Amino acid sequence: MLSRREGAAVLVLTRKAGQSVMIGQDVVVTVFEVRGDTVRLGIQAPREVAVHREEVFRELQRANRSAASPSPAALESLGRLLPTRAPTDGPER
Amino acid sequence: MSAPAAVDLPALDLPAGLFGFPDAHRFALVEWGEPGLGLFLLRCLDTEGLEFLVAAPHALFPDYAPEIPDADADRLGLTDPSDALLLVIVTLPDRVEDATANLLAPVVVNARTRRAEQIVLDTGSHSMRAPLTRS
Repeated sequence: MLSRREGAAVLVLTRKAGQSVMIGQDVVVTVFEVRGDTVRLGIQAPREVAVHREEVFRELQRANRSAASPSPAALESLGRLLPTRAPTDGPER
Repeated sequence: MSAPAAVDLPALDLPAGLFGFPDAHRFALVEWGEPGLGLFLLRCLDTEGLEFLVAAPHALFPDYAPEIPDADADRLGLTDPSDALLLVIVTLPDRVEDATANLLAPVVVNARTRRAEQIVLDTGSHSMRAPLTRS
């Protein structure tokens, strides 16, 4: 069955606890437990495949975008704000 | 504060890019600000004008010593913890006093291979927006 989300076609499958889906050759997503509106999933993937909770992933994208390329004025202000010597026992120079 | 010196460190290689910047793979690390504060500009060599202010946390976040998840350490080829250099990304808002650092998702560098990745710590104890200055 195909559904739509954010414009892209989404494959919708029904699974029971203990059953899995394969994504490609080597990613296995297993339903461990269903309780109320909470589903526990087990994800087996090669180590080069990073797995993230979507909301965390999106939030990190936003955080990085707002951190990208600070303005020279902001950097200059920060330079005035920070102590001129490291407050801790950081490496001596 | 002097202008950043010419890049004096080998480039970092981020095969996965950064969150939101999947095509930014190669970065130079340029020391910024007072020596000892551990601040750097992470300057992208693939995208003109893209850079991030990052902090090696020893001076500004002395208690920050997260455990790197095994899967991430494996991917970076980190076998010896002393090879790991942590950099946290700083966000400078309009009011610079409100600057924050992302302690939840540090950039972990394998200092031996210069390979790096922005990882997500799986503990709930680290903030994505930790205040940079105590005010």
